[in-house]
Amino acid sequence: MYKMIRKNTGLLLLTLLLATGAQAQRVTSMRINEVLVINEDNFVDDYGKRNGWVELYNTSAGTVNVGGCFLTDDRNNPKKYPIPKGDVLTRISPRQHVLFWVDGIASHGTFHVNFTFDPDKENYVAFYDSDGKTLVDELVIPAGQKADISYGRKKDGENEWVYFTKVTPSTNNLTLDTNEKIDNFKLNDSRGIGMTITAMSVVFLGLFVLYYIFKQVARLAIAAGKARAQKAGVAGMHEGSSDISGEVLAAISTALYELNEDVHDIERTVLTIQKVKRNYSPWSSKIYSLRENPRK
Amino acid sequence: MQESFLSFLGENLQLFLTYTGVYNATPGHFVMIAVGLIFIFLAIKYEFEPMLLIPIGFGILIGNIPFKDAGLQVGLYEQGSVLNILYQGVTSGWYPPLIFLGIGAMTDFSALISNPKLMLIGAAAQFGIFGAYVIALQMGFEPNQAGAIGIIGGADGPTAIFLSSKLAPELMGAIAISAYSYMALVPILQPPFMRLLTTSKERLIRMKPPRVVSSTEKIIFPIIGLLLTCFLVPSGLPLLGMLFFGNLLKESGVTRRLAETARGPLIDTITILLGITVGASTQATQFLTWNSVKIFGLGALSFIIATCAGVMFVKFFNLFLRKGNKINPLIGNAGVSAVPDSARISQTVGAQYDPSNYLLMHAMGPNVAGVIGSAVAAGILLGFLG
Repeated sequence: MYKMIRKNTGLLLLTLLLATGAQAQRVTSMRINEVLVINEDNFVDDYGKRNGWVELYNTSAGTVNVGGCFLTDDRNNPKKYPIPKGDVLTRISPRQHVLFWVDGIASHGTFHVNFTFDPDKENYVAFYDSDGKTLVDELVIPAGQKADISYGRKKDGENEWVYFTKVTPSTNNLTLDTNEKIDNFKLNDSRGIGMTITAMSVVFLGLFVLYYIFKQVARLAIAAGKARAQKAGVAGMHEGSSDISGEVLAAISTALYELNEDVHDIERTVLTIQKVKRNYSPWSSKIYSLRENPRK
Repeated sequence: MQESFLSFLGENLQLFLTYTGVYNATPGHFVMIAVGLIFIFLAIKYEFEPMLLIPIGFGILIGNIPFKDAGLQVGLYEQGSVLNILYQGVTSGWYPPLIFLGIGAMTDFSALISNPKLMLIGAAAQFGIFGAYVIALQMGFEPNQAGAIGIIGGADGPTAIFLSSKLAPELMGAIAISAYSYMALVPILQPPFMRLLTTSKERLIRMKPPRVVSSTEKIIFPIIGLLLTCFLVPSGLPLLGMLFFGNLLKESGVTRRLAETARGPLIDTITILLGITVGASTQATQFLTWNSVKIFGLGALSFIIATCAGVMFVKFFNLFLRKGNKINPLIGNAGVSAVPDSARISQTVGAQYDPSNYLLMHAMGPNVAGVIGSAVAAGILLGFLG
């Protein structure tokens, strides 16, 4: 019974961990990233048509499958457009985008939703998890959108929204052609002194804190050891010093090691550091005790 | 008929010749093959890190067999080739953490726990990394490349491969070869500087024997070590997480089979794959450049700086320690990770001046602290420059 409970507890914990791990890469990390309401002279779909679109962005470091989730323009109908399951293209790679055409023709494929934008009014678009209840992200697109100018997050996944005269469907809103961190170091720390000071401080700090904690742990351990020794009534025990020679300690350690490793069967031998002297005697010689096989 | 058949044979033979290694060889290939042979020689003759130098040396031979690039999926850099598939463990950086798992499962941190102040020596030796970083910047390398080169000074092959695969994949072959070469050459590189920086009186310092560490302390160490270092430098998680996890497997006492697998078959398998593929990545056409030469020079410098920083830090630290608690500066060199070779060098050099002064167990403290320190330093570099 006890074993069963233990086993089940382990399974439960494992399931919980897996569920937590899976949560980290679920659709909750998707964001509505950029929208274009009026498409007059811009990006065309596979049918050569120009329509408005919504771009979603995967903010996580894991692949997210949006198949089975929902897009809607109706607050009262979160399940308005179910994104089809089983399409490999709905698997969005880390920090990548997916584009949905807001053309009202769902029969055109997975990435064509069954609603359209109204160019003269405020528009609403929302993305729901596969349960149809969990709102992942929503956006109110202000009225008065201009043709071929998209509305999107200044930088992918971040909060600030701006208008883009140069639209960026299925690609980064902010084009990264340099590495900001490296440029910053090149500009402000061309000799590397700043990096050296910062990094060495962190290394020292980390190991110093570890040192400090283990110094305290050592104190506690020594105190606990003393208390145990006193409780056991061990008299004359001196901490840190011993009259036992190194060789004896080595012999004891070897014996304990052998015992713990359990590499041998139990043998009737004595482990000693004394020299073993065996004087020759014909009574103990193997020559006389071995028997030759009879010749045929 | 016979004539056309003969000409067909001749053409085929000529075509075959263009596929041979002899036909495609360049002087660079022979230079690299010579380097591989030297590695194998050093490993067998002098037993310099044979577990690393034999696979790497032989890998260099494999990687420098010249061949015609005819899409036969032969070479390491040809997508889909066997070597290329094995090399993915290096490029995507999952071999090093598995090596760290094995290292954790075989490392006894007792020396460090019993005398925790030795951790600071492991921190001081990381100056080698940043000394090389500063010099690499002056030589015109980009900050990310300089960071990847600097990590050679951590004297930790897996860390060097892990970081360079993230920061400067184009330099990874040279960095890995340089790191492993100098790790193997610590018996030659370190002793002159240890002698140069210490007085004969300092070399004779006897340190207190380490106290016995309880199993509870040993179990607590990897848990606190992980939480502390990774909360400070989360980017070091792949290496530090696996290192401390492996150590907990060892010290918990209830996962003996897992610990034995981690420190036995697993680390051996990964070492073979890592060594052979890193060696094979040094194809002359990709490897023999001025940058590689510079990296080798910087690697040597970083080891020297790390050694000197460790020794000098102990001397400085001794100014604040009471008589009887002083540290022998000959263990300062062990702050570079190169486990356990640099600790063995402390012992060897110390024994030359006092054969009854056993420094090995003391040197293991900064040695394993160096492993933690270099992984933390790698995490910082990755965080700043990645």
